[in-house]
Amino acid sequence: MVDYLWNTQSPLQKALVAGRHGVAGAQAGVTLVEVRDLVLVQVMARRGKAADTAKAAKKLFGVDAPNTPKAVAGKSATLVWSGPDQFTVLAPRTDESSQIDAMSQAFSGAASLSDQSDGRCLIRVSGPRGRDAIAKFSSLDLHDAAFPVGTAANTSVDHTAVNCWREANGADGHPVYSMLVFTSFADSLWHAIVDSSLEYGVDTSRTRAA
Amino acid sequence: MRIACPFCGERENGEFTYLGDASPKRPTFAVDSGESPERVEDAFYDYVYLRDNVAGFMREYWYHGGGCRSWLIAERNTVTHEFRSVTAAPGVGASKPVQAGE
Repeated sequence: MVDYLWNTQSPLQKALVAGRHGVAGAQAGVTLVEVRDLVLVQVMARRGKAADTAKAAKKLFGVDAPNTPKAVAGKSATLVWSGPDQFTVLAPRTDESSQIDAMSQAFSGAASLSDQSDGRCLIRVSGPRGRDAIAKFSSLDLHDAAFPVGTAANTSVDHTAVNCWREANGADGHPVYSMLVFTSFADSLWHAIVDSSLEYGVDTSRTRAA
Repeated sequence: MRIACPFCGERENGEFTYLGDASPKRPTFAVDSGESPERVEDAFYDYVYLRDNVAGFMREYWYHGGGCRSWLIAERNTVTHEFRSVTAAPGVGASKPVQAGE
């Protein structure tokens, strides 16, 4: 008889070995972080209810929901465009059921919600060579002019669908990219990013969403 | 080949799936309208199976599965692969109160 354990664990439980990998040096070229403890909800406006959805989002988060590929920081959550008339709400996990209840009430009748909190894994790539590492497996143009802070994109990297967006620059002044990936593909994508980063030296770690 | 998705911008064609000709319109016959079965069958046979083999621009369905997961209609030159326009298929998104399909 097998005992099943229902403890939630990260899809990167095995793949993520915290520390320095690849080229050793004073400073790692790439910093790779798994961001845990998120509440993630997909919001899709219902037929003819795009305006109601936008209004509800504005009321709940205090910002206009993105209607082009952008990520906007709102009150207590980040809203990331994920398709026409749909976006993903990303918030640090405090009390998950009350966080989701608040959204269900706010979007009631206007949009359909889908809880993806344990369905996706959030990987954050930064550091002076982070962009170079991503360029090896993504066909997105990540030049400052084409992909400034706040830009988002749904794209396929390494045969895997990701929602990617650019955060505010890090304390070191270098760009920071977030990638949301399906949990079952997280392990594979993680390896792809680490492999691409080895020649620059990469620091890996995990953190709680803040 | 790069395709300019009206929502996402220009992307590599690997993110897209090709469906085919966007021109055929589903025949509409009112129930019990007295239409002859042969005509109805002919119309559906044409709609389901018969396609023009165009050398030049044609309207075709593409699906941006690797991106915004929207159905698109593209005008593509089948000889040169030049795209003249890429627009959202009817019913994409929730803004328009139209159902998908033409």
